[in-house]
Amino acid sequence: MKNPYIPYEVKIVDAWYETPGDRCIKTFKVTFSDEKIWDTWSHQPGQCAMVGIPGVGESMFCISSSPTEKGYLRFSIMKVGKNTSALHELEAGDTFFIRGPYGNTFPLEEWKGKDIVTIGGGIGQAPLRPVIQYIRDNRDDFGELTVIYGARTSADHCFKAEFEELNACGDACCHLSIDVQEENWPHFVGFVPALLMEVEPSPENAIAVTCGPPVMIKFVLENLEKLGFTPDQVYTTLENRMKCGIGKCGRCNAGNLYVCKDGPVFSYAQLKEVPEAFA
Amino acid sequence: MAEKVLKKEKVGEALKELSKFRLFAPSKSNGTILYKQIEDPSDACLDFGNTTVPAKKIVFPQTETLFRFMLGNPELKEKNVEEEGTTVVFGIRPCDARAMGIVDNLFSWDYQDPYYLKRRELTTLVGLACIQPPSINCFCTSVGGEPFSEENLDVLLVDLGEMYLFKAITEKGEKLKTTLGSQLDEAPSDAVKKSGELADKANVQIKRTIDTKGIPEKLPTLWENELWKRVSAACLGCGICTYLCPTCHCFDIQDEVEGAEGRRARMWDSCMFREYTLHASGHNPRPTRRERTRNRINHKYSYFPSKFQVIACVGCGRCINLCPVNIDILEILGQVVDA
Amino acid sequence: MVDNAKLKDVAKEVISREDVRLLIGYRPGTYGFRARPAFVENSDQVDELIFSPACVSNLSSYLTLEEKTPLPRGVEPDLRKVAVMVKGCDSRALVQQLVEKAYDREHILVLGIPCRGVVDMAKVENRFPGVISGEIAMEGDNLVFSFDGKEETVPKEELLAEKCKRCRYPTPLISDLLLDDEVERFADDDYSDITAMEGKSTEEKWAFWEEQFSRCIRCYSCRNVCPMCYCEDCVLDRLKPVWARRSVDISENTVYHISRAYHLAGRCIQCGECERVCPVDIPLMLLNRKFYRDVEELYDYEPGIKVEEKPLLSTFSVDDKEDFIL
Ligand SMILES: Cc1cc2nc3c(=O)[nH]c(=O)nc-3n(C[C@H](O)[C@H](O)[C@H](O)COP(=O)(O)OP(=O)(O)OC[C@H]3O[C@@H](n4cnc5c(N)ncnc54)[C@H](O)[C@@H]3O)c2cc1C
Ligand code: SF4
Ligand code: SF4
Ligand code: SF4
Ligand code: SF4
Ligand code: FES
Repeated sequence: MKNPYIPYEVKIVDAWYETPGDRCIKTFKVTFSDEKIWDTWSHQPGQCAMVGIPGVGESMFCISSSPTEKGYLRFSIMKVGKNTSALHELEAGDTFFIRGPYGNTFPLEEWKGKDIVTIGGGIGQAPLRPVIQYIRDNRDDFGELTVIYGARTSADHCFKAEFEELNACGDACCHLSIDVQEENWPHFVGFVPALLMEVEPSPENAIAVTCGPPVMIKFVLENLEKLGFTPDQVYTTLENRMKCGIGKCGRCNAGNLYVCKDGPVFSYAQLKEVPEAFA
Repeated sequence: MAEKVLKKEKVGEALKELSKFRLFAPSKSNGTILYKQIEDPSDACLDFGNTTVPAKKIVFPQTETLFRFMLGNPELKEKNVEEEGTTVVFGIRPCDARAMGIVDNLFSWDYQDPYYLKRRELTTLVGLACIQPPSINCFCTSVGGEPFSEENLDVLLVDLGEMYLFKAITEKGEKLKTTLGSQLDEAPSDAVKKSGELADKANVQIKRTIDTKGIPEKLPTLWENELWKRVSAACLGCGICTYLCPTCHCFDIQDEVEGAEGRRARMWDSCMFREYTLHASGHNPRPTRRERTRNRINHKYSYFPSKFQVIACVGCGRCINLCPVNIDILEILGQVVDA
Repeated sequence: MVDNAKLKDVAKEVISREDVRLLIGYRPGTYGFRARPAFVENSDQVDELIFSPACVSNLSSYLTLEEKTPLPRGVEPDLRKVAVMVKGCDSRALVQQLVEKAYDREHILVLGIPCRGVVDMAKVENRFPGVISGEIAMEGDNLVFSFDGKEETVPKEELLAEKCKRCRYPTPLISDLLLDDEVERFADDDYSDITAMEGKSTEEKWAFWEEQFSRCIRCYSCRNVCPMCYCEDCVLDRLKPVWARRSVDISENTVYHISRAYHLAGRCIQCGECERVCPVDIPLMLLNRKFYRDVEELYDYEPGIKVEEKPLLSTFSVDDKEDFIL
């Protein structure tokens, strides 16, 4: 059996900045240096991978492409520390290493036939992007798709072009927000939980998925409850610190859950039982 | 089948024979008893209570290379554990052997940890029964063990005074018996009976006990109980109770570079450290030693059993004996029971 | 010795004061002859308080160890005093913390304990193994051990902590309330072991420390217990840049210990806690006392004596020796 700690080399096919600033976000589109790995690789929306550079380190990132997007993987990475800064130095043609895929997946099979609402904030859109893409690529299997997304300023919005395209092609209804008013901003101004109340999605035969900073999630969950969503209709991801990604190092636990194995995807119903989940 | 004994005057010879393997035995270093790789049998010390650092260190080293590489070169050279060869731990206490069995669950659920599991496969455990529990804080009998427990051992040695009863338990143990061959003698007819009597005597000498039944189910209900603040108030947040616990297994992974050469290594980590859960933003999901102590106890007595159906504590007493400020897991569990 | 009835009375008065939020003292331990830190928040809890030769911990460490959770909006921080019981050696940590302006003098209320020495618990447990519960008292130059319904008397020098046999300041150097009569200096450090060490060759010294440091498991207990190791962001934890790697081997362990010893030069107040807590018995005081002696000889400076004193590293005198600067 393969040693799970040994990563595969991937080559950057394309790389671009999503957002500017100190904590900028860069997206990498990569393929395995050894094409044969594609034969054994399979991932689902929600899953993650350990991404790193030997000599620098590794960190966990969600795979922000859907398995329906063949021939490459995408990662959208915010620059926050040692490893992410080193990754940001890399350009198309460069290589880094990944191992995975890790963790559980969004239960998209169970969601078939339902309306889906995604609620994201900042870099939190990264795990939601494969969900949206997956639905687009299997459009007839799902009901209405509502995308709610906000960031501090319009410049801080990830995947801008994709939202425009989504709206234009009619696959989804997108609602965008920024925290404070800017000139020429035609959309909502305010925090994401408020935008959610404005959009007021119906809980009828629907699933809500939310990812973003902990404070945002806290209020989104409250507001979803107000809108009538029951805890088992609501999903989110936990992003505890991780070292091994394979249920050994003990680092990621929230109560009796190994977030790297039992998660990162959880229903709110599950998390309600875990006192440490929102600590 | 006739039992064998290892006469005390032949222990040196036996260790000499076993030193053709990677042999570890307790050894005295500056007054501290620690496992040491034995080349010279006189370095071994079998007249000991228990080692300060448990034998987990032999199968799960404090620092271990996962792979090596040259900077900029995509080739990653996996550490080959097989090369370490057959390993014998001579004189492990029954609790520490049980602990390895417990940790095996973790390293073999779902993903298989190749380093740990390979080493476990290569390792033969020669236990030494506790004629006299080594410390007043031994409480193995409360958590499913006992001073003469054979669980997870390949051989059990019982000190009968002039000689050790040599009881091979597993196939690995039988193999070791064969290896030792001439160093072993036929056991006197009363050896087994004597050993049984000693076991009974040892059991009743365990002075501290706790009824652990129901604790795993009760702990989650005590999440916000005030007891956590009280029992953790004195804690220093050091690594003693976790590093030296035979069932603690948390590790960190770090890359280290020296010139053009590098390695990815893992090293013991501790949930009692502040940085363990600290986020970049400064936010810490376990902000004080109260939450960290609660996690340590819950991990051993609730989370681990909920996943692997066994309490991750063997009652070796190290965390009690070695805590500099007398934080006492038995007292904490007592409060859990009473709460 | 401190009268325990009086101690409880004083403690009750102190914790009942409106300007005191916490009293840190000692209470009986959970097994053997041990005593342990006690955190008293109301007068119902004072009955468990004791002082005896089993009270080895330096409680001044807790003034800098306390972790504060972020307060919810609108909640004011509790700025009331912390009362702390200190022996002579421990009190010097308070003095040095104040010299370094770790907190304001008004933040603490010092309950001073003139001290005749505490035990080396490892020696006690060796002498009386397997005792479930017992007490230690000091009578003159003897220690009296009561357990299992009997009493045994042992001359104190046999079981006293090494630091007590070298103690220069048995009476607290800072205190608001002294719990007993002052105790005259009864010992001094002759540094004989340090002198012997200095006489060894570099190779011998290195071999000695290599043996010692190779045992270190980097549990950081010595750092965490140290009242003078209170940096919020210790350089030895930092990963950007890395000063000491996380890996545990002789080279990183040496970096750890040498860095710590240097950071404590002119600051270590000789409470001996680091050596006491070390689970693998590394003789850390040999290192700390070497630095202490050098600082004393070179700069005529002892840390933790006077609150008005300036920290050694921020003072300069034209008489300072410079021959170590190459
Ligand atoms: C399941 C999962 C999915 C993730 N997906 C993404 C993603 O798609 N895009 C993305 O940009 N980031 C994602 N993250 C967060 C990412 O792993 C961290 O930002 C990254 O580890 C930081 O690495 P670094 O070496 O640059 O920082 P370091 O230099 O190691 O650390 C910088 C600081 O970040 C803190 N830190 C490290 N890991 C985390 C963490 N997981 N959460 C919070 N703080 C942390 C450390 O405490 C440290 O203070 C994800 C995390 C998890 C667990
Ligand atoms: S309980 Fe004791 S040994 Fe454990 S971290 Fe706290 S002070 Fe250290
Ligand atoms: S928790 Fe304490 S008693 Fe239990 S196995 Fe670990 S060190 Fe031993
Ligand atoms: S270094 Fe040791 S002796 Fe010096 S102040 Fe710190 S704990 Fe006390
Ligand atoms: S207490 Fe001892 S083992 Fe722990 S870090 Fe200090 S010297 Fe090392
Ligand atoms: S990241 Fe190691 S156990 Fe989850």
